[in-house]
Amino acid sequence: MSTHDHEATQSGYPGPGRPAIERETGGRARRLPFSLLFGLAIVALFVIAALFGPMLDGQDPFSQDLLNRNQSPSLAHWAGTDNFGRDVLSRLLYGARLTLIVGVGGVICALIVGAGMSLTALAIGPWLAAAVFGFIDFIRALPGVLLALILIVALGAGLSSVVIALGIAFSPFFAYIARAAWRREMAADYVTAARTLGASRLRILYRHAMPNIGGALITLAAVILPRCIVTESVLSFLGLGVSPDTPTWGRMIADAVPLVERAPHAVLVPVFCLSLLTLALALLGNHVRAAVDPLRAGDPSGRQRW
Amino acid sequence: MVTLLATVLIHIARAALLVFGVTVLVFILVRAIPGDAVDVLAIEGGLTESQAEAMRAGLGLTASWLDQFTAWCLGALRGELGESLRFHVPVADLLLQAIPVTLALGAASLATGFVLAVAVALIATLRPRSMVASLVDILNIWSIAIPTFCAGLVAILVFSLWLGWLPVLGNFLVPVIILGLDAAGQIVKPLHEEMKELGTAVYIRTARAKGLHPLKIVVGHILPAAAPVLLAMTGLVAASFIGGALTMEVLFGLPGVGSLAFNAVNGRDYPLIQAVVLFLAVAVILINALTDLAQRLVDPRPEG
Repeated sequence: MSTHDHEATQSGYPGPGRPAIERETGGRARRLPFSLLFGLAIVALFVIAALFGPMLDGQDPFSQDLLNRNQSPSLAHWAGTDNFGRDVLSRLLYGARLTLIVGVGGVICALIVGAGMSLTALAIGPWLAAAVFGFIDFIRALPGVLLALILIVALGAGLSSVVIALGIAFSPFFAYIARAAWRREMAADYVTAARTLGASRLRILYRHAMPNIGGALITLAAVILPRCIVTESVLSFLGLGVSPDTPTWGRMIADAVPLVERAPHAVLVPVFCLSLLTLALALLGNHVRAAVDPLRAGDPSGRQRW
Repeated sequence: MVTLLATVLIHIARAALLVFGVTVLVFILVRAIPGDAVDVLAIEGGLTESQAEAMRAGLGLTASWLDQFTAWCLGALRGELGESLRFHVPVADLLLQAIPVTLALGAASLATGFVLAVAVALIATLRPRSMVASLVDILNIWSIAIPTFCAGLVAILVFSLWLGWLPVLGNFLVPVIILGLDAAGQIVKPLHEEMKELGTAVYIRTARAKGLHPLKIVVGHILPAAAPVLLAMTGLVAASFIGGALTMEVLFGLPGVGSLAFNAVNGRDYPLIQAVVLFLAVAVILINALTDLAQRLVDPRPEG
């Protein structure tokens, strides 16, 4: 048996006789996986930078020093200066705050709009649910970036309109997941019991089903957050971000691109930070998914491109 | 047979309703944008108040929204999408020039990603301990963590500016590679998971027991069985490329539908925005329908 197993794993087919857990952990004792620690460390670093960075750094992200434009990284300016002689590091730290606020705000907005709309409609009645999901299908037929772009132009540039635009663009994901979870829960015995006792659908929703639906929504929020942050920087990059003089990372990249030959660091530093943050958030998102919903940890629909 | 026909008809009706709904939605949204094309032109060209008013009347922007919408819909049904408010050429001409660029970019990227994903998943299933097997996770994490426009910027910096190998604008190779890697990363992970899962099936054990070559098992038995997952992911990625190419087109100066949409929204060019959105909605719906059809062909079992 053991020789057979050995051969089987070597040629690529997991042997039938071995317990799955042993196969997955390679027989070693359980410990926190590297990707989880890495993700946590990076996210913690950026959150601390966003909270305290602007104070620690001591440089003004807005003060211009026209004699020292496009300086390479040095002791005075650790990440160099941009085209107006502004310190890139302090703008980066200040931008981390905005990037995180917009990303988290967008996800919360999407959660409230998407899940709120779909669950309320489902609880009130199937006709309303059909109408609401018909409308959500319309939203889904448009590429997310284009929808957000139109919304931001319609609402006018500003922090709140970017958050709202991102929230609406990502809300269909939450609506669909909420509907799937609702349907699953409605088939459960405890719902039938509650209904027999005379509870209304709305009461069943917020008293009984919500804790079970919440897990799926939190998982989705963790998966959507990095995408929300990337979409914000794409929008800023296209010139439709928070406002021209507020340094989100996308805005910094957009501003530095025309001068990329003279000051490549002004593009590379925010690009690096953005990629690092999305990587860390994506790794964390996977672990949240595995923790909340271990059976579907390998689910393929982790992400759809805009 | 009758039920099949009914299903097809319902699908077509749903698709038509979807296209109509998206058109209405965008019509309202676009007109809610403060400032119209004349305002943008006035800022750029310096029009007087009376000139601007005359221009608005000439372009039909003073009519009520409902009248504007019925006029647009009737025109669209006849195949007339109107004239661009800014470029004064038929919108259809602009769109027809842009569509081949986007299609070429999307198709080339998708093909790159598809071939790469299938190759990596095949080798990873055959040789799970090899270097290629770790490529599955590397590609997947790459596609999640590296935004395409960041990769594009770095590529421009390195290959065009520092090494001078490629022109900055209008170059096709780099966006195709970047979008292709992105597509591969999204497709390869679920495909590989599915193939691993299928590797434990009883009929695969039988094939192994009768001494069939592992390569033949993977190519002849496992890959065809994993085709539904492969097709589903490819369809998802294809639909997302319809809009996802937008940033790459703007970044690399490719005159495709994405660049057109970006310029149209910025210039408040209503007929152009409407036409682009109509195209995108039809394209997304068409891709979804084709994916559905292809999946039914490879897996004729009824759903559920």
